[in-house]
Amino acid sequence: MSDLFKFKVSALNTKTILLEWSIEPTDLLLEHIIKFKSLIEKDTEIQQCIVGYKSILIELKNTIHSLFYWEEHFKKKQKKIKNTIIERNHWKIPVCYDLKYAPDLLNVSKEKNLDTGKVIKLHSDARYRVNFLGFLPGFLYLSGLDSRLYLKRKKKPLLNIPKGAVAIGGKQTGIYPNISPGGWHLIGNTPVNLFNPKKNPPCFAKPGDWISFEQIDSHTYSKIESEQQNGNYQLNKYD
Amino acid sequence: MIEILQTGIHTSIQDIGRHHFKNFGVPVSGALDQSACLIANSLLNNSPKAAVLECCIKGPKLKFHDNYYICITGAEMNARLNDEILKNYKPYFVKKEDVLSFGIAKLGCRTYLGISGGIETEKVLGSRSQYQNITSSDKIIKNTIIPIGKSNFKPVVGTRVKEQKINYTKINIEVYEGPEFKFLEKEQRKLIQKKIFHISSLNNRMAYQLKEKFAHNLPQIWTSPVIPGTVQCTPDGSMIILMRDSQVTGGYPRLLQLTESSIQLISQKTTNNKIRFKILPKII
Repeated sequence: MSDLFKFKVSALNTKTILLEWSIEPTDLLLEHIIKFKSLIEKDTEIQQCIVGYKSILIELKNTIHSLFYWEEHFKKKQKKIKNTIIERNHWKIPVCYDLKYAPDLLNVSKEKNLDTGKVIKLHSDARYRVNFLGFLPGFLYLSGLDSRLYLKRKKKPLLNIPKGAVAIGGKQTGIYPNISPGGWHLIGNTPVNLFNPKKNPPCFAKPGDWISFEQIDSHTYSKIESEQQNGNYQLNKYD
Repeated sequence: MIEILQTGIHTSIQDIGRHHFKNFGVPVSGALDQSACLIANSLLNNSPKAAVLECCIKGPKLKFHDNYYICITGAEMNARLNDEILKNYKPYFVKKEDVLSFGIAKLGCRTYLGISGGIETEKVLGSRSQYQNITSSDKIIKNTIIPIGKSNFKPVVGTRVKEQKINYTKINIEVYEGPEFKFLEKEQRKLIQKKIFHISSLNNRMAYQLKEKFAHNLPQIWTSPVIPGTVQCTPDGSMIILMRDSQVTGGYPRLLQLTESSIQLISQKTTNNKIRFKILPKII
């Protein structure tokens, strides 16, 4: 039996169940978790599911009467997961890597012994996978950062990271959807709004989607920024 | 409508919370003491989903622009309507131009003000609960007007509600073992239940940090979902109890999980208050 089919079931409280996999996160596990989630969310007794790298949290509408019942239930459901390939969106996120938007770019270049052009190229050539959303409304947990850009977080977090900042921290890269504290290295900024509470859904990206960063100049940055304010900006997708 | 004359320390509009957008990283929010919020609404015959004011440590001063019924629940906060002292857990009739003021919390630290008809600010993502970057502000603002819904509530003459006596000084906090609890050494599992912890000054709607450190050798985990009441432990041993404005995922080991009523109890506690964790049998 594949390791994908081995998961642990525990109760977090009287209405919440956690499914956890012991294998390391991979694209295969991500696909499995996303399909698993959408399958069990159809159940009328289930309020919603929230995913992590290798876990699914399940909120029930009623109190757990038997955890064993639910374990059996989920195992039965899991067998129904199909091997079909689901079409995912691949979003093109414009990023300006100019120094005025990238206060830590020179430092990253020095630390990694790569010239700034190479840092930008490595960052914008890659294709990243949205694993899930968390930390802040609209914050995407992305996998796929080139290992040549891995860089320990700052010792002292910054209190006010600007909205739209594109950053590297550890083995991850991400976009700060709003002003927030954080310890990652800022290498660019996107004019694209990642979270809009007035819209439903409030974020365009979903777990399983792909994103790439596309380098733009500061003129294009301003243009997109104003288009977005007027509500006539359309984010591009790859075909 | 009600007018905010003074805001108090941290007064915010809260309801049962924003439950359906956690997948977008949106915290659940909502009244920290859900039970006090629910009672305020039910005594006014409001919907359980109606929004109330959550007052923390020191409450606001408000002027009513119409006639309403109000009900105060949760912590004692020396509420006065004009000059009259008000009791908690009792509906009162208020008239246009009346002024309601709160003092400093005596027992507990969060007080709820329910108003017949409920607060009717705009719903964002299904809730009126204030949270930074989702609603326009994370707390009420001085000299602003808050809209109130319609209600034909009238208390039934002759009926009376028994005054609620909730013991907020209770130090035992009931918890379940968290997902990473099993990785603790045997001695640590005992210690976590014996030790008296104190709430540090870092306590707010997002999280309550404890003063005492809890040394452990647990590794960081792959970022995984967390919920209100999850107790995380950082690599330096800081214990953090997540509250309703917390993020929806976290990477620190989750040692304990507070029950719903423990979350309510702890939300009535503040800096320097003592707590002790009491672990309940596993749910099977």
